[in-house]
Amino acid sequence: MARGTVGALVSVHAASEIATVLADRVRSARAAGTPLRIVGGGHWLDAGRPCRALETISLAEDAGIVEYEPGDLTLTARAGTTLADLARITRAEGQWLPLDPFGSATGTLGATVATGSAGPLASAFGTPRDQVLGCEIVTGTADVVRAGGRVVKNVAGYDLTRLNVGAWGTLGVLTEISVRLRALPEMDRTFAVEVSAADGWTWLRASEFTPMAAELMSPALGALLAVGDAAVLLVRLGGNEALVRGAVESLAALGPMREVPASMWEALAAAEPPGSAVVRLSTAPSRTAALWERASAIVERARGSAHATLTRGVVRCILPVSGDGDEEHARLRGMVGALQNLGTAIVERLPASLWPAIVAPAAVDPLSVRVRNAFDPDRILNPGILGEPA
Amino acid sequence: MTASTLPHADAALQARLAAIVGERRVLVRAGELRTYESDGLPGYHARPSIGVFPGTRDETIAVVRLLAELGMPFVPRGAGTGLSGGALAEGVVLLGLHRLTRIISIDAEDQRALVEPGVVNAALSRAAAPFGLHYAPDPSSQTACTIGGNVAENAGGPHCLKYGVTLNHVLALTALLPNGDVVTLGNADGECEGYDLLGAFIGSEGCFGVALDVTVRLARNPQAVRTLLADFSSLDAAAHAVSAIVAAGIVPAAMEMMDGPTIQAVEASIYAAGYPVDAAAILLIELDGAAAGIDADADRVAAFCREAGARGVRTASDPAERARLWQGRKKAFGAMGRISPHLVVQDAVVPRTKLPAMLAEIARVAAEYRVKVCNVFHAGDGNLHPNIGYDATSPDESARVHAAMAAIMQACVAAGGTITGEHGVGIDKLPYMDSLFSPATLGAMCALRDVFDPARRANPGKVVPMHSCREWHAAPSARS
Ligand SMILES: Cc1cc2nc3c(=O)[nH]c(=O)nc-3n(C[C@H](O)[C@H](O)[C@H](O)COP(=O)(O)OP(=O)(O)OC[C@H]3O[C@@H](n4cnc5c(N)ncnc54)[C@H](O)[C@@H]3O)c2cc1C
Repeated sequence: MARGTVGALVSVHAASEIATVLADRVRSARAAGTPLRIVGGGHWLDAGRPCRALETISLAEDAGIVEYEPGDLTLTARAGTTLADLARITRAEGQWLPLDPFGSATGTLGATVATGSAGPLASAFGTPRDQVLGCEIVTGTADVVRAGGRVVKNVAGYDLTRLNVGAWGTLGVLTEISVRLRALPEMDRTFAVEVSAADGWTWLRASEFTPMAAELMSPALGALLAVGDAAVLLVRLGGNEALVRGAVESLAALGPMREVPASMWEALAAAEPPGSAVVRLSTAPSRTAALWERASAIVERARGSAHATLTRGVVRCILPVSGDGDEEHARLRGMVGALQNLGTAIVERLPASLWPAIVAPAAVDPLSVRVRNAFDPDRILNPGILGEPA
Repeated sequence: MTASTLPHADAALQARLAAIVGERRVLVRAGELRTYESDGLPGYHARPSIGVFPGTRDETIAVVRLLAELGMPFVPRGAGTGLSGGALAEGVVLLGLHRLTRIISIDAEDQRALVEPGVVNAALSRAAAPFGLHYAPDPSSQTACTIGGNVAENAGGPHCLKYGVTLNHVLALTALLPNGDVVTLGNADGECEGYDLLGAFIGSEGCFGVALDVTVRLARNPQAVRTLLADFSSLDAAAHAVSAIVAAGIVPAAMEMMDGPTIQAVEASIYAAGYPVDAAAILLIELDGAAAGIDADADRVAAFCREAGARGVRTASDPAERARLWQGRKKAFGAMGRISPHLVVQDAVVPRTKLPAMLAEIARVAAEYRVKVCNVFHAGDGNLHPNIGYDATSPDESARVHAAMAAIMQACVAAGGTITGEHGVGIDKLPYMDSLFSPATLGAMCALRDVFDPARRANPGKVVPMHSCREWHAAPSARS
């Protein structure tokens, strides 16, 4: 059992040593008016987000398991622990954290939670919001807050945990995180099925089988991953032998199908060319097929690719960016604008210079501003990263 | 407040409220308000100054705006089944929401529903049934409790083991803030960017405002269900069976435990379910999902139970038997209430490997304080519900019961657990908040509350102890 690599079990109250040191750092930054950029593995640094910071705090070194009792199916780790390390440590116990955000697995748990990032497995297991049980946070007021707990059900007090998941570190620096784990399924098999978005959704909606993931890939993406040159639904089935066999039979009726190696998911996560612009569209699940058709047309014109988590109504569009010129930027603006017109759009990555002009700031409604004022009144933490004005 | 006639100022309030909701929907007399003096936890009583019961969304908004104008505190209330004293309104306005019972829409294609807060949990599942859908969170009080109350408590229930709690099933809601502003939290039609204000509101126990309407996810009815009843001659053996099943990675839809005293209370009531009355503990375990593969999992579960020492494992043979087994579980609390005039119930959660040790500790504490504990709880989540029935008119017995409860709570916290898994803090668990959270954490909770309700008028005095709510920004150095 891997435990105690960081130190002895801390009591529920006690701030970790590193958090205490960080709090001092935040306190002096606050006094000096020096905004800080919080960095985990650094994978988001090139996403173009307009963060105005003078100094950087890196959490990459603050890594390791704080507590892992496999029988509890929960784990507590320092924020700098990479998803790859977590996967390795939990796999040894027949368990996993079913969270597969796009990008490299060298990303940290802290950044994944701070950005609320999830991937295809969110289809069955939800996003970090559904998996995080508690966390330690150093707020912009230099307080060390220990929110939530380490057990799988907990309603004690107001939910500071949810508040910090997806807040991009603008309310506090995440230093430690407790998550719920799952047992690895007895069988874990992936199939590529040629099917339209509409038929894929119809099957998913009505089928008695709930795949762990079901991700529709555009022809361009399918070609890149060498699974075919039509739109392909990648379906990941988990469960006991009889269940998976039943699901395979049911799927086979949908269209031409073949089994592909599980490594396909890693390939998908790493598929986007570095420097791409990425826009995530979302809608109600029943409208995903229509959204997919319209987004695909735009993406094809841009010679990009797309994939969709059908049950969640999410279509992720990847647009290649070539160069930095005005013409290229004008082209990108047009493409991203066209995607934004299709409905709810969240921009993940974009050349930094384009960000302010194209992306509407998040968390600028009166309540969110008040939240920010409460926890980071001097805008010391990642100022601007949500696109919010100074 | 015990006065049976209203002071003068309240008569004016009464008239203004009546102008909004109608005279019959404003209660002021002691006799009329008696029902609203307590919630599901009979140990606490507090008389509201006035009760107001709007029948529509617009009336609700008008009432809250009037209270804002007057700067008056108020307590939202659903069905009053809460188990933490959360809906108690001591000398303040009680805002009853149980008349807002409209199911505004059910969208079978996208598997969701938009409902008013007074819709009863089970009524929603009934309305969804023709579409082959149901609302998954199923508190044992589901035939009475409201969706608004569920949202406020982040309610759980037996089937939350597999399906998740209220938080995981709410897509969006409209919140009526205490100052009268109406805001949408979450996004029913896609993802959300920015702060998770929806997540913050869920479980805020009525202190952040009123949930005016709620968009919830509906779950598909499973193709197949297997309900197993395993009976054990010791509590410890049953607890070990739970740990083994969890550790093996099987996720039953529900895994509930009842101990001997609970079984006997149920079997002596009109809810008799056919549980073995000589068992020291039973596990009610349900598996659901696709028919393919379900029997293999059921066989494994049964094998784990037998290995842990189960005397027998039987499977419900038809839906009627299944319903009967569940009814006994869901009405267990009521059955125990028949035996004792007063009842306290706890809601602590412990890491699941600690279950056997914690059940032994509870038994030890019960013996030490000479109290009779019944255990009926969500074992798969490690969410304990030790109940103690007693006679509150006996000061000696009351003192022993409360001391025992405090000892149990401390043991659960020391084991790495929490003080409440689904019932909320309310006023009942306020004294334990300091043992679980640091002053800085409690201060942060207050700061969050002040975002939604800076005047602290919604459900005052609940959840976070008053002494923690010092100024959050004022003196950083004093807070470390
Ligand atoms: C026999 C029994 C079994 C139970 N089993 C379970 C169980 O398995 N799981 C579980 O989680 N709970 C259980 N409970 C507890 C209780 O039923 C839940 O907490 C339920 O969610 C409360 O709903 P209610 O409508 O009765 O709310 P109330 O008791 O009326 O209110 C509870 C809290 O919610 C607030 N509130 C109510 N409506 C609103 C609204 N519209 N907007 C804002 N705030 C509001 C109130 O201010 C109060 O703080 C049980 C209770 C009983 C009596």
